Amino acid sequence: MTAILASDQPHHNRAEQLKQLRRQMAAVSGKVGSGRLSHIQSHAHSHPGPDDLLPDSETKLPIPQLLADVLPDALPRGTVAVLSGARSLPLSMVAAVTAAGGNAAIVGQPDIGLLAAVEMGADLSRLAVIPDPGSDPVEVAAVLMDGMDLVVLALGGRSVPLTRARAVVARAHHKGCTLLVTDGDWQGAAIRLKARVCGYETTAGTPGFGRISKVRLDVCAGGRAIGRVRTG
Amino acid sequence: MDWPAVGAAAAAGLPATAPVAVTLANRVIACSSAARSAGVRRGLRRREAAARCPQLHVVTADSDRDARFFEGVIAAVDDLVPRAEVLRPGLLVLPVRGAARFFGSEQQAAERLTDAVAAAGAECQVGIADQLSTAVFAARAGRVVEPGEDARFLAALSIRQLATEPSLSGSGRDDLADLLWRMGIRTIGQFAALPRTDVASRFGADAVSAHRFARGEPERGPSGHEPPVELDAVLHCDPPIDRVDAAAFAGRSLASTLHQTLMAAGVGCTRLAVHAVTANGEELTRVWRCAEPLTEDATADRVRWQLDGWLNTRTVADRPTTPVTLLRLQAVEVVSAGALQLPLWGGLGEEDRMRARRALVRVQGLLGPEAVQVPVLSGGRGPAERITLTPLGDEPLPRADPCLPWPGQLPEPSPTVLLDDPVELLDAQGNSIRVTSRGLFSADPARLTSRGRDERLRWWAGPWPVDERWWDPDRSAGRTARAQVLLESERAMLLCYRQRRWYLEGIYE
Repeated sequence: MTAILASDQPHHNRAEQLKQLRRQMAAVSGKVGSGRLSHIQSHAHSHPGPDDLLPDSETKLPIPQLLADVLPDALPRGTVAVLSGARSLPLSMVAAVTAAGGNAAIVGQPDIGLLAAVEMGADLSRLAVIPDPGSDPVEVAAVLMDGMDLVVLALGGRSVPLTRARAVVARAHHKGCTLLVTDGDWQGAAIRLKARVCGYETTAGTPGFGRISKVRLDVCAGGRAIGRVRTG
Repeated sequence: MDWPAVGAAAAAGLPATAPVAVTLANRVIACSSAARSAGVRRGLRRREAAARCPQLHVVTADSDRDARFFEGVIAAVDDLVPRAEVLRPGLLVLPVRGAARFFGSEQQAAERLTDAVAAAGAECQVGIADQLSTAVFAARAGRVVEPGEDARFLAALSIRQLATEPSLSGSGRDDLADLLWRMGIRTIGQFAALPRTDVASRFGADAVSAHRFARGEPERGPSGHEPPVELDAVLHCDPPIDRVDAAAFAGRSLASTLHQTLMAAGVGCTRLAVHAVTANGEELTRVWRCAEPLTEDATADRVRWQLDGWLNTRTVADRPTTPVTLLRLQAVEVVSAGALQLPLWGGLGEEDRMRARRALVRVQGLLGPEAVQVPVLSGGRGPAERITLTPLGDEPLPRADPCLPWPGQLPEPSPTVLLDDPVELLDAQGNSIRVTSRGLFSADPARLTSRGRDERLRWWAGPWPVDERWWDPDRSAGRTARAQVLLESERAMLLCYRQRRWYLEGIYE
């Protein structure tokens, strides 16, 4: 008697049970990859769009004001971008990410001026540098992707072949870590950013007086992900 | 001195008041007080002693028995004052300073010790003196020698006493005492009055130490320190480890062994040495440093990463030629368990910080502990000195305090590239420019030569003199100043003048 009752009960509300299981699955899959950085506040886009399942802060990396016009769609997490030209560009991106509570690492740039990053608002406690990554900096960057939100990788003029690049890009995508490649080439990079100093502002124009007060940058973006945009 | 007799009486089940004599090679070497009052003396032959005291219980010497029965006394004393050192069965020495402070005075401490030993079933005498040897003789007299009175206390003792305590003297002390006696030196005070050089030249090294003792000069005292515990764990790998997955298992079991040892000692490890020995006898060592004490998992991870690093090095020359046969973990630096408490909120609990840290620690395993550097804002005037890089895991301490005002600090923006290249700053005639003692350029700068390229300046500013470290002979050669220049090719640079040369310190880009 009791057995019949027991088997009858689940049958009765199977549809409801299925619905609940589906809900649970949706909740679980929504959590994958979003465990990290749930507290990052993106200033520009803080409320998710109606068609977006995840808030912007979990799919996009905070970017500096400098890039706001060049990259209207922000920088998606898990992408690889090649930066060239002025060193302020990677530093400003490091500053933006660490200031928003993300972790960043700089691989293989012993001469980088971290004080400039601090002046751009970087949080040094969330930054680590590996000045001498040995013979294989790409391997070091791949290891760092486990825990970092942004890895700046200086290749020292080398180029990474497509086969190797593909494996690392897949890893970056999986871990949700953005890789910025400087001082070298990365085949198949989705975004290419080029920064050029277009002028300096000094507090007094005549030689012998004043000091440098501002560095003006000209950033130009290209690559598969974006069309060519220019800004002054 | 009577301990062999006391021990023998206890072993035979006799009361402490029974006459007992202990003999070695047919001579009495120790007797109980009852036997002594009946006329038994040390050095008597066995038969003679039995004649003087017919009910004497005679046993042969047995140092094992002495030590065995002394153990109870040591335990009783240890309960009261820890870390007593045993000179021989029957003689304990301990530093009195802590005990005197704890019990109120030296007399009180002595009383408590006497009581504790009496409770353990033995009688004892306590002596206190500045030096260890003097204290032994003070204990025979049951006296507390005042500070600085060692030599005076010893002066009245017979010179024969020099040789009575075998645990304090070398083997030839008997002969020395005999010789001194025959030379007419009857007390230790007379011996102490001899000049040191004469004693050394006539009687040898042992006499010198006896002479130091006679004068009450400082000697090696009881340490009173807890001996350092061996905090390590060893694993003999059978089969030898040549793959990383095997290393992971080995690391886990080794880490749990080490952590049991650490837990028993009540400490946490902040610096861990991983040693590995291969079948060919190659030895590999690396030390891991951590700011927070290692957990068991963190230790296991480090062992795995380290072995991964060793076994899978990309360059074949660095790789060990044979598998690893022995693994040893050693806690090089430990902190007390009180420092181990994790904070309740924030801090270590932050998930992504931990994840980032793990990734960085893995890179440390690949490249070495110094490879990963953490920047921290520091005090200073130039852009390079205002960032201190410390290896990950070390306390991130700035080289100078950043909160001080630092007058003369360069204002924003800072150069994004830091260099230290020698350059030439020239005036319009091509003469090199100095900074004068008034802190001015010797002429207006016009050209800059760096890395073989000569360029005209469009704008310059400075010099801004830096007046620091004038007391340091390495740095004070000439004056130090900074200047900013803007080249015709639209490149802004920060220059630094020191030791009568210009250096390119940074590029603004």
